[in-house]
Amino acid sequence: MRVDETNVVADAGERHDTRAPALEFDRVVQDFRLPSGKGSRRVLDTISFAVRRGQFTAIVGPSGCGKSTLLHMAAGLLAPTSGAVRQDGVAITSVNRAIGFVPQQAQLLAWKTLRENVELPLLLRQVPRDERAERVREVLVAAGLAGFEDHYPHQLSGGMQKRASIARTLVYRPATILMDEPFGSLDAQTRMVMQDDLQSLWSRYSATIVFVTHDLTEAVILADNIVLLGSQPTRLKANVAIELARPRNVFQPFHTNRFAEFYDRVWAIFQSELARPAAETVAANADA
Amino acid sequence: MPDTLRGSARSHILGIVLRLLPAIVLLVIWQWASGRVIRTIYVSKPTDIAYRLYQIFASGEIYPDLLTTAQELLLGYAIGAAVGVTTGYLLARSPRLASIFEPYLMAFYGIPKIALAPLFIIWFGIGLWSKVALAALMVFFLVFYNVYMGVRSVDRDVVNMTMILGASERQLTRHVYLPAAAPFVIMGMRMAIPYSVIGVIVGEFTSSTRGLGLFIVQASSNYDPAGVFAGIAILLAFVIAANAGASRLERRLLRWRPSPSGTQHQEI
Repeated sequence: MRVDETNVVADAGERHDTRAPALEFDRVVQDFRLPSGKGSRRVLDTISFAVRRGQFTAIVGPSGCGKSTLLHMAAGLLAPTSGAVRQDGVAITSVNRAIGFVPQQAQLLAWKTLRENVELPLLLRQVPRDERAERVREVLVAAGLAGFEDHYPHQLSGGMQKRASIARTLVYRPATILMDEPFGSLDAQTRMVMQDDLQSLWSRYSATIVFVTHDLTEAVILADNIVLLGSQPTRLKANVAIELARPRNVFQPFHTNRFAEFYDRVWAIFQSELARPAAETVAANADA
Repeated sequence: MPDTLRGSARSHILGIVLRLLPAIVLLVIWQWASGRVIRTIYVSKPTDIAYRLYQIFASGEIYPDLLTTAQELLLGYAIGAAVGVTTGYLLARSPRLASIFEPYLMAFYGIPKIALAPLFIIWFGIGLWSKVALAALMVFFLVFYNVYMGVRSVDRDVVNMTMILGASERQLTRHVYLPAAAPFVIMGMRMAIPYSVIGVIVGEFTSSTRGLGLFIVQASSNYDPAGVFAGIAILLAFVIAANAGASRLERRLLRWRPSPSGTQHQEI
């Protein structure tokens, strides 16, 4: 791992083509080596789609279809077997420090307090102390975490850890934020509150969001468009625009005008995937 | 509220008393049995040992030995721990170094280090450094092994996450690897305390001109069990003091960890 990666990414940011999409998956293929060590299995098969700047995109698909794998490639943690993932027109080839990433588990550093966790990205980016304190304070208030600054992660509830994880990302204001089933482990009520908060935080910080979920309702109520994936080997099934007015009522989605219409449209495509057990479609690819 | 506070203070004192009770019972039985059940020449007795301790401190005869052993312990421990932490960390972070050196280290790990004592006397002489070397070697392996395992067990996802947040390699070391491995480092350093004492004392038994180990050997050859026990008591005090220090450090460095009982930690 080279130390100068931050600079490389920063430079790439300077040169970026403003007409290029915020994030672009271009004929991405991902093969995973089989546990036996012989051959490999195609997980993602020629996926292409683009995420426009400022847009909220949800990626939906059956479990195990490689939704998270797409995000890991965008985060630069995994190179595609072929094809490319581009950010602002520049291919991502190493750990992507220019994006935000909200993982499934909150992954706060257990040895740092809430304040220190949220401050960390600013500290790592050498933001001056006063500005750090101010930005951390502001984002903690926005995330509803004021008053818990000195708590360690294990002293926070699951929902609060999730908020902290989102606050830690928002604090350094990345233009694009990847979220990997961030609310998957939360109870239904906390989840709705978090969805509502995410919606308002998103409009406030105006980031581009790519949000992976397996929950159709969540996808339809939050997203501007939904990328639907099939089961393995995963191909892109559809990219559906959700033209619902904002702000949307996440607590009572079915009261939102035209929600049912879009839900049904997505469901009609999604349905066909659920009937097919993933195992039948698993193809061993021995040549790689 | 004051009632419960007083109650908790009382139960705290009770806890200390209960903890000391077995030691007191043992000492009383020892005192009683010595000369009645077992001959005093074998086991001495607590009052004799206490008197002997008083004698050697009052006359000052123990100080040169004490000073020598303390020096050997501190030096051996510090060198062993420092090299252990550094080596463990480097090997855990570099798969290439690990693949070269791990088999050797694991092979050496299996050697009873005490068997090297005579060799070390040849190499480093009968003075301070042969004992320092023996203690350092014993401490090194324990600390190395714990640090190596600790750093390797750091969650890859947390490392990736921190890199995305902007961390360089050096920043990863400071913010992720070292704090994540801290419980293992501290455990290794704690376990190494008695081993450093073993290293030093065995070295002194083997060949030396000064030290608590020599004091014990001489007391034993003079049929002076009180002297032997006095020497052991001083070593025991050493280990207890070092452990208490380690506990303090542990509580300070690991205060972020959930306490096992689910309550705030209790001062012992």
